[in-house]
Amino acid sequence: MTGYTAKKAGYAIEYIALIAVVLIVWCVMAGRGTLNEIIMPAPSKVLDTVTELIGSGVLWTNLVISVVRVLKGYFIAVVLGVSLGILIGLSKHAERLSVLIIQIIKPIPPIAWIPLVILWFGIGESGKVFLIFLGSFFNILINVHDGIKQADEKYIEVSKSMETPFFKHIFRLIIPGAAPNIFTGLRIGLSSGWMCVVAAELVSSTTGLGYMIMNARQFGQTDVVIVGMLTIGIIGKLMDSLLRAVEKRAIKWNWSE
Amino acid sequence: MEHKYIEIKGLSKIFTRKKESVHALENIDFSVDRGELVCILGPSGCGKSTLLRAICGLDTEHSGDVFIDGRKVIKPEKTRGMVFQEHRLFPWLTVEENVAFALNGVDKDTKAELVQQHIDLVGLTGFEKSYPRQLSGGMAQRAGIARALVNDPELLLLDEPFGALDTFTKMAMQKELKQIRKKSNTTMIMVTHDIDEAVFLADRIIVMSPRPGSIVKVIDVDLAEPRDRNSYEFLEIRKEVFNEF
Repeated sequence: MTGYTAKKAGYAIEYIALIAVVLIVWCVMAGRGTLNEIIMPAPSKVLDTVTELIGSGVLWTNLVISVVRVLKGYFIAVVLGVSLGILIGLSKHAERLSVLIIQIIKPIPPIAWIPLVILWFGIGESGKVFLIFLGSFFNILINVHDGIKQADEKYIEVSKSMETPFFKHIFRLIIPGAAPNIFTGLRIGLSSGWMCVVAAELVSSTTGLGYMIMNARQFGQTDVVIVGMLTIGIIGKLMDSLLRAVEKRAIKWNWSE
Repeated sequence: MEHKYIEIKGLSKIFTRKKESVHALENIDFSVDRGELVCILGPSGCGKSTLLRAICGLDTEHSGDVFIDGRKVIKPEKTRGMVFQEHRLFPWLTVEENVAFALNGVDKDTKAELVQQHIDLVGLTGFEKSYPRQLSGGMAQRAGIARALVNDPELLLLDEPFGALDTFTKMAMQKELKQIRKKSNTTMIMVTHDIDEAVFLADRIIVMSPRPGSIVKVIDVDLAEPRDRNSYEFLEIRKEVFNEF
């Protein structure tokens, strides 16, 4: 084995070491009967539940429903967040007009919106999508705004000295320069939107991963709760990796090879 | 009325920083002829970059005026190319895209041709598709020069363009600048703190002193081309300049 591959193998071990320890401790404790089955089911029980939920299609159905909801809310958040972020980053008037309201609304957690959302949207799909939108929108908006505002004065001077036309200045200088921040916003926006899915599905839902978890809680099915939680975690991680890969391709000038 | 190509009249600038005011430029007067290469030489903080920015039109908050071709400078124009201390290439564009960025309202074929021509001129042939981070300091600076030249400016302003380069790259770049000048006959004003560079390149050297930034002496450099950095005449002028500091 060469030094390089040995190093790689070492890294791989480090990546999974902590997860392995947690699993082993969990297995051992379950095996010795120290765990209360209701509070913390054994790993084997969770594994059985996974197989069962996959086999019956329940997990898949709920997962797809949740993902679609998140994507809908996220899509609206991306469109509005990016365009408004660019607008308030470019226009001092728009910035002054909006900054206070953004700062006040942003810290309100989506869950606090639920009563109003039920009144406004009823218990249908749109309310849930709106909550996810709220969860992602501000993160995208703020990062895009920052990126546009932090445009490097040095590059702006170069562009000025060439008498660059306005739209070219915006689309080929300001926006590409803000691309790293825009992508950060898109990534944080997606993960925060995904985190809102449980909150969104608390709104009288009968489907989705959030519903699956809350429903299982009422029947004391801790194993289903754990499966639901882990699914949310793993899908969230996959979504982030996917966006990172897109980012790496889109702004390859920012990555050294 | 008769006028010189570039006329700088009574240019003064005061920076105010935390209630403390610094006299960056005081009563600067000089003129430049078409086709001339003038070096503005001085230690750091003597306001020479500020002066260049005023000529470019990037800084207009000063008293006194800059006239180019009899017209007062009030904003940057693409007829004046600027090369900055740092290359300032846009990192998200390749070399050719960076050079092409300077061209507006030019049709595609002409654009491609002009870009290639200027990339060849600065010796970056083969690096058209490279991103700035893949270039060495000297190569990046060349790309910056190509970008400033692609609009075929009447006047090229250079703000310590070779300041960050090693001696050998620097000398090569100075030679190249002379070649470019020969081909394009562009008027050039270059700010530098390097005496050798000024004596090697300039038709005229304007020596500046700091606080307040003002002109101490104007030295004509009457040296035959190609200039030999070790010739007696070269060293004589070098000494004359050196004695001003």
